[in-house]
Amino acid sequence: MDAFDLDVRRHVYFSVVANGRPPTVTEAADALARGEEEVAGAYRRLHDAHALVLFPGTTDVWMANPFCFAPTPHRVTAGGRSWTGTCAWDVLGIPGALHADGLVESECACCGEALELEVVGGELARGRELLVHILVPARRWWDDIGFT
Amino acid sequence: MVYLRSEEHLARWLDANGWEPGTTITASQTNDLARAWWWTRLDPGWRPRAADESQAILEGLGLTGEFWALR
Repeated sequence: MDAFDLDVRRHVYFSVVANGRPPTVTEAADALARGEEEVAGAYRRLHDAHALVLFPGTTDVWMANPFCFAPTPHRVTAGGRSWTGTCAWDVLGIPGALHADGLVESECACCGEALELEVVGGELARGRELLVHILVPARRWWDDIGFT
Repeated sequence: MVYLRSEEHLARWLDANGWEPGTTITASQTNDLARAWWWTRLDPGWRPRAADESQAILEGLGLTGEFWALR
């Protein structure tokens, strides 16, 4: 991953934290004073390197893990904003990445009952009794990251 | 990766979807894993982590064996 791609990635993540959403290619190109095609190429390389996930066939950011930009049942309030996580693991990763406490609102995959988990000082203060199931072995997580 | 209220709900969910079980960890383990895995994600000097480093995070949390092998 070259220095330009790392700059683009850093800009994407900083924009996510500042604005609650990732920048479009046009916005990132403007901010970085680079051409749109150049930035679009970086988005695609970052996707291929699993450093971002793009919506299929686009240069729109679907995931800047652990942050997700499509609806899921996994929401967390942390760092003064409400976020979406791709899965049970990522949604707990958002307070981790922000180094903040967090209140997770999710659901039981079986019955749909609302569940709450709370992270305080890095520890799970509520929801400790809940289970997390992982269907896909680790070496296949990137086969279909949206399902994993 | 989903939350389930109990082992009973897990069994019912797998059965309803016709899925073979993967592996189950507690929400507390998941929080420890999430914190370790994503802690540096917003660091200005972030660099991609080597697979060995990621494997070491898993192993450090006791997540070992074939299911947790990244390669």
